[in-house]
This record gives sequence, structure tokens and C-alpha cells, in this order.
Amino acid sequence: MAATAKHTLQDITQEISEPGRACSLLRLNFSRDSASGQTFLADSFQEPPLKVVRAFTLEDGTALAHLHNVSGGLLGGDRLTLQVNLASETNVQLTTTGATRIYRKREGFSTTTQCNEIFVGAGALLEYLPDATIPYAGARYVQRTSIDLAAGAGMFWWEIIAPGREARGELFQYEEFAIGTRVSALGRRIAAENFCLRPMRENVSSIARLGHFRYAATFYICRVGLEAGAWRGTEDRLRELTASVTRRGEILWGVSSLVAHGLVVRCLARNGREVLPGLQAIWRNAKRHLYDREAIPPRKVN
Amino acid sequence: MKPERESAALTPSEELAHLRLLHLADSALPIGSLAHSFGVETLVSAELLRVSDLPGFLQGYLQETGMLEATACREAFQLAQTDEEEFDAARWVEINDFLSALKVARESRTASATLGRNFLQAALGLGDFRVLREAREASLESASLTHQSAAFGLVSGALGFEETRAVLAYLHQMSACLISACQRLMPLGQTEATRILWNLKPAIVEVATNSTSFTLEAANCTTPLLDWGAMEHPALATRLFVS
Repeated sequence: MAATAKHTLQDITQEISEPGRACSLLRLNFSRDSASGQTFLADSFQEPPLKVVRAFTLEDGTALAHLHNVSGGLLGGDRLTLQVNLASETNVQLTTTGATRIYRKREGFSTTTQCNEIFVGAGALLEYLPDATIPYAGARYVQRTSIDLAAGAGMFWWEIIAPGREARGELFQYEEFAIGTRVSALGRRIAAENFCLRPMRENVSSIARLGHFRYAATFYICRVGLEAGAWRGTEDRLRELTASVTRRGEILWGVSSLVAHGLVVRCLARNGREVLPGLQAIWRNAKRHLYDREAIPPRKVN
Repeated sequence: MKPERESAALTPSEELAHLRLLHLADSALPIGSLAHSFGVETLVSAELLRVSDLPGFLQGYLQETGMLEATACREAFQLAQTDEEEFDAARWVEINDFLSALKVARESRTASATLGRNFLQAALGLGDFRVLREAREASLESASLTHQSAAFGLVSGALGFEETRAVLAYLHQMSACLISACQRLMPLGQTEATRILWNLKPAIVEVATNSTSFTLEAANCTTPLLDWGAMEHPALATRLFVS
């Protein structure tokens, strides 16, 4: 194992902050209309290839925005930044229009990076429900996500990592896929992840890593202010659900309380077909339990 | 002719430190280490981990979890190296809070914190160590957990051990405890268990060496399958281990 193989999260912090970088920024600020109680996209700053056409209002007043990448995927050397700010008492749902494709790193270009900076204001709720991320053969991708939750803020946030273009037999042929996630509530970290796979350099099918599974998903479910006992109850409730959709050897679901204010669901699967439906089932159950509200699956636009 | 050996004579104080490190890193130290499998019990129960998989599994475990814990151990060790008047209690809490955030599986997080608290308590019973007292007070005041790797590093620094030796000792006892758990979970005999731990030593040295290269914040730990095992351990019908 090379020591350098494990530097990625430190590197991205330095690289993103390098002056003079061509860095595409998408900034979205959501506010609440005091008269109607609905959430709306108050203002945005958009640089290609990242784009949001408009925000739609769902039946419960939530603002739904589709995150587009007009170049069709992330190219080698892309340095993208997404900043999302939810004002107090807003409800926002973010999704992608399809799978996020990370193309092969081009000769002479640096690692593709994406930096997500998210703030969820007091009493607000963010639902981040993207499709899978697919790193193509030769791709190098580093993502860094920072999420800050204010008092009473909530979040449903999942990410699905595919092994590559499975249909053409392209499995784990990317160079590097690294995700660094930090979730803080009231200024204190409640969840962190330093996930990094380099299939060309290390055995990803080690039982200490993915084993014989190919897909991995992480789902954070948070609501600031709920006591630890309430989360244990939610954990038990969701475990009944995850146990019913776990099939040994094919798809595994696990659930556990975080150190405070939330819980995390992990999924490992041989194929991707059942991952998204499983996440949606957990989301529906958890939202009904935590918010006494129905989950509204995001409409997809083409 | 006898093989030529490097002069390895230790001073009496170095010999004493060596003995103390051996004592504290002994997996038989009564802090509860042998009661935890950190999710391995679930993997065995689900027939995902067999005896033949163990060498590869432990190698990966050291490269991922071992690297993270070694980095935490080093950072805590270095905290104890500062002048006692300047002990950085805020950083101590920060290290432990970060480990709590990274350890997403409740039982494994609690296990690490229980062992860390017990270890620190045991060390405080061995003498008057101001850094250790301040660390414990800071953790209590901030309702922060005390994780085992951080506690081991801090105690090692406070007792004047050599840093890399402390990290090596920590990784070795971590590996030994996990192999011991495997002996109780699988048809793994003493001879084979000894051989596995023996063969793991180069990997332990490699991880300890590489852990000098980066910070705790940047240390990757990619163990989704083991995380699943740790998360689902509470659901096992029959359990030998607490985690």
C-alpha cells in the first residue's frame, strides 16, 4: 500500500482553494414565502456545466430542483462546486436528472473534483436524492461534502456508488473514487466519512472493503434535536424494514444511530437494481415516522 | 561465528518503558478488549468470512481501520508531548469527536469508547499524570467519548514511550484481539492463529510507518462491509460478543 494513495481528501482541500483554477460554481439559495409557506428558489448563481433550470413546487410546498450537468457528465480536470443554502423553515428536494457519469481522466488534466457546501437552516428540511454515480474506466474523482445543520434542521441524503459501466462488463476499472463527507449539527460533527477506493492499487473485494459486492450506498437521516432514545427507536423500526429487504449474498442493508441527531443506513449490493427502490422505501418510512409527512418521489425531467 | 548484532543495550529507564509498554499493550489487560468483535461476528454468522479469508481480511483491516487508528494514536501521543501547562484539551476533544463521527456503527463506536475510557482509567490508577487527568476532565465536561486508539496514544505520550513503538504496540494488540475473537467464532486453532498474527507483523510495520504521512482528517477508512457487520450485530439472535 502506498502512503500516497491515501492523501486524496487532504489534497482536494488544497486543490480547490488554489487561486486561478477554472472552477464551475452552482449556488442555490432557498427562502420561504411567509404568506403561502412555500419554499422558493430566491436566487442562484450558475456557471456551466452545472445548471438548475427552475425550482418546482411540490404539493406540500417543498421546492424541487433538478441538478443538471449540461456537459453530460464530469470530465477530467473539472472542478465543480455546489453551494446550497436553505433558509429557516424551508423544504427543499434536490435530485439529478440521471446517473452522474465520471469520464476517464484525460491526459494532462488533473483529478475531477466536486465540492459540496450545504447549510440547512433552523427547522428546514433538505432531501438530496440523486441517482447513482458511475465512475468510468480510467476516472479519477474526489468529492468533498460539508453539511451544517442548524437547530431543528433535518436531512435525507443518500449517495449510490456504482462499480462502473456494468452492462459492458466494466467493473472497478477507474483509477480512484474518493468521497469525504462531514455532517455537523449545531457546530459539532455527527458523521464523517473518508471513503476511497483505488481498484488498480488495492484489493477492493477484500472482505475488509466491499467483499464480493459491487454497489455501495450511504443514506444519512438526520433531524437535529431528537434525543438518543428516539433515534434508537427509529433504528429498531428501520431495521425491521431493512431486514425484510436484505438478501444474503445479493444485497445487504444495515442501519445504525449516529453519535447524535441522526442515523445512517448502509447498503452493499451485487447489482444496482434494488438499491434505489430500497432507499426510497426507507425514506418513505423514515419521513413518515420523523415528520409525519409522506415522501414525494422527485419527478424526473428529460 | 555468532552473527553480528547491532548494539541494542537499553538504559534501565528504556527497559522500564519497554516493559510498561508491553504491559499496557497486552490484550489481557483487563479493560474488556476480548469482549468485542467490532462486527466480525456478524460477518462470520453471515458466512461472509471464513478461516481461509482471514489473512487477506486482516491485511485490509489494517490498511483501513488500522491506518485510521494509528493516525489517531499518533495525534493523541503528540498532544501529550506538549508542556503539561499547555495541554490542548480542545484538540483532545476534537480528535475524539472526529473518531465518533467516523465510527458510524453504534456498537463499534460504543465499544471503542468503552475500551478507551477503561484504558485511561487504568492508566490514571498507575500514577499522577496531569495530562491524563486534564484529558479525562475535558472529555467529561464536553460529553465527548474517549476512543481507545486516542487514549493509548495519549497515555503512551504521557508515560514517555517512543511514538512509533507505541503505534506498533497498539496495532499489534488490536490485531491480536481480533484474531482472538476469530478463534472463538471460527474453527481456528492456536497454531494457525499464531501463524496468522506472526505473518501480519510486516503489514503492521508498514501501516505504522505510513501513518506518519498524513493527518487524522485525511486518513481514509473504507470498510463498508465491516461497517454493515457492525451495524447489524444488534440483530444477531445469538451473540458471543458485545459488538
